[in-house]
Amino acid sequence: MKKKVLKPAKREQLLGMLYSFPMGIWFTVFFTVPLAIIILYSFMKRGLYGGVEYSFTLEAYKQMINPSFAKVLVRTLWISAFSTILCVLIAIPVGYAMAKSKHQTLLLFLIIIPFWTNSLIRIYAWISILSTEGFLNSLLIRLGIVKEGLHLIYNNGSVILVLVYMYLPFAILPLFTTIDKFDFFLLDAARDLGATKLESIVKVMFPNIKSGLSTAFIFTFIPIFGAYTVPLLVGGKDSTMIGNIIVDQVSKTRNWPLASAFSMILTIASLIGVFWMLASAQREAAAKNKNTPQAYEQKVRAHHRRGKR
Amino acid sequence: MKHIRLILIVLLAGLLGFTLISCNRASKSAEKLYLYNWTYYTPDELVAKFKKETGIEIIIDNFASNEEMFAKVMAGGAEGYDIIFPSSDYTSIMINHGLVQELDHSLLPNLKYVSPTVTEKADYDPDLKYHVPYFMGSSGIAVNTARVPFEYERTWAIFADQRMAGRMTFLDDMREVMGAALKHLGYSGNTTDERELDEATALIINEWKPNIIKFDSESFGKAFSRGEFWVVHSYPENVFAELPADMWDSVDFFIPPEGGMMYIDNMVIPNGAKNVKNAHKFMNFIHDPKNYAIFLDEFDFPPTTNTGAERYMKNDAFFFTDKDLVNSDLNDDLGEYLDLYNARWQKIRYEH
Repeated sequence: MKKKVLKPAKREQLLGMLYSFPMGIWFTVFFTVPLAIIILYSFMKRGLYGGVEYSFTLEAYKQMINPSFAKVLVRTLWISAFSTILCVLIAIPVGYAMAKSKHQTLLLFLIIIPFWTNSLIRIYAWISILSTEGFLNSLLIRLGIVKEGLHLIYNNGSVILVLVYMYLPFAILPLFTTIDKFDFFLLDAARDLGATKLESIVKVMFPNIKSGLSTAFIFTFIPIFGAYTVPLLVGGKDSTMIGNIIVDQVSKTRNWPLASAFSMILTIASLIGVFWMLASAQREAAAKNKNTPQAYEQKVRAHHRRGKR
Repeated sequence: MKHIRLILIVLLAGLLGFTLISCNRASKSAEKLYLYNWTYYTPDELVAKFKKETGIEIIIDNFASNEEMFAKVMAGGAEGYDIIFPSSDYTSIMINHGLVQELDHSLLPNLKYVSPTVTEKADYDPDLKYHVPYFMGSSGIAVNTARVPFEYERTWAIFADQRMAGRMTFLDDMREVMGAALKHLGYSGNTTDERELDEATALIINEWKPNIIKFDSESFGKAFSRGEFWVVHSYPENVFAELPADMWDSVDFFIPPEGGMMYIDNMVIPNGAKNVKNAHKFMNFIHDPKNYAIFLDEFDFPPTTNTGAERYMKNDAFFFTDKDLVNSDLNDDLGEYLDLYNARWQKIRYEH
C-alpha cells in the first residue's frame, strides 16, 4: 500500500494550524467571548439587583451623557495624555542611552526588575514616600527645606507621577529596540551635511524611530486610560477616572449596562490606537519599499530621460 | 503524525491525572461545611474549635462586598455554599427572592442569646425564620486626639470644621455618606423624599466635601495610624486593626448622637445547600456565648449581638455599645428608589 505523503508546503501549513490552535482557542474563549458579552450587556436593560434584563435599550449610552461623567472623561483624557507624553519624553533619552551603552543586558534587566513586585505593593510604596508624614517630607524637613510636611499625595499630581512611574518601562522597551536598530552613522552624515546636533536628531533620527514612538505611545496611553488602582489609592477626592467609574457601576451601583458602555469607550479608544499603529507601520513599510536600490535606479533613469528631451 | 500522537498522549495523561485527583477528593468523605463570608470575618480559632467538637471541616470562600456576593448567587456560582453572610438589605433581598431556606429552630437552642435590640432592628425577618444575626455594628468617626488637641463637635458637623481641612476622609460608600448627612439633618437614612435628599446632597457638597481630602474605603486605617488622616469616617475594627495598642488612648471613636448608618451581618442557608444539618450546627455553635466571645475578642467588637458573651470576653474596652446605635438606621433595600441616591451621589463624587 502506498503511504500518502503530503507536500512539504502543505504539511507546514497544517502543522502551523495545529500549533496555533491552542492560542486561537485561548483568544476566543478568554478575549472574544467576554468582549462580546460586554458589547451585548451595554445594549441591555439593567437588572434592579445587578445583572441585566434581556431586552434591547440604549439607556446605558443615554446615561453616559451627563455632566458628571463628562467631567471624569475629560479628566481621564488629560491625565492619560499628559502622563503618556511625559513617559515618552523620558523614554527617548533613556532608550538612546541604553542603545549606546555597553551594558545593555544589565540595563534591560534593571528595567524589568520592578515587574517582579506586585503593582499594588509598588503603589503602597509610593504612598509611604509621598505622604505628609512620609520619607520625602521627613527628608525635606530634616534638610531644613520645608518646615511642615507638604501635601504631595491625594491629588492629580501624585496620580500622574505614579502613573508615569508604573508605565515608563512600556515606553522605554519599544523605543530602545527601534533606536538600537537605528544606524547612528546617519547622524554623523547629517552633521557633515550641515545639520546641528538637535536638527540631526529631530530630522534624521525621529523619522527613523517613528514605529517605536507610536508603539511607546500606544503601550502607555491605553493602560493609563483604563487605570483604576492608581487614582483609587493615590488620588484625592477629585481624581476619579473612567476605570473607577466602571468598578463603581459594577460593584456599588449595580448598573452593569452602564459599566459595559464605559468599557466600550475604553475598547474603542484602544482600537483606534491599535489601528493607528498598524496604519503607521504600513505607511513605513511602503516608504521603505520606495527607497530600495531598484526604486532609486528607476527614479534616476526617469530623471535622465526627461533631461535628454 | 508523531506530533499528533504526542499531543494525544499529553492530553490523555492530563485527563488521567485529573480523574485521579477527583477520585481522591470524593474518597475523603469527612463531614464538611462550606461558608461564603466576608474577608477576615471567620476567626481561625473558631474554625479549629468547631472541627474539634463536631468533626466537621469548614471550608471558607470570601467576598468583599454584598454586590459581589449577590452577583455570584444570581449567576449560580454560589451553589455548594451552606451558609452565606449577607448584610441586612441583602438578607431581605434574598428572602424576598426566595433564595434561602427556612430554619429549623429545634436545632438552634442558642438563639435565645440573640440580643433583642438586633431582632427589633431586623424588621425584614424579626422572628428569625430565615436568618440568624452574625454581628451588628456600625460605622462612626475616629479622631486622632494627638493631632486634634482642641475641642471639636462630636457630631457629623465635625466634617464642617475647617481646622482639620485636608486631613479628613469619608468612606467611599453612597449609603454611608448620604445616610450620615440625612441623619444629621434629622431625616431617615432610608428616605425617598427628594427634597430631603437634595438638602443632604447640598450639605455634603457645600459644607463637608471642601474639607475632606478623599473618599476612602480602602486604606484609611493605614493612613490614620500614620497620622496622615486625623478624622476618618470608618468602621472601628479597620482603624484599630492598624493601630498599635499604645496609640489607642489617643483615638476618640464615636457614633454621632444624631445617628448614622449601622449594619447587621447575617447568616442564611441558601436553597440547594448540601450540608443543611451542619449549617444549623455552626449557627448554633457560634451563638454559644463562650464561642461568641472568641469571635468578639478576635476583632475587638463590642457585644451587641449576643447577650451572654460579655462575661467570657477578655476585652472590656468597647468602641461603642448597642446604646450608641439607638438613633442609627439600617440600610433598607430601596429597590428602584435607589436611583434617587445614585443620581445625587454621582454629582457629589464626580461633578462638584
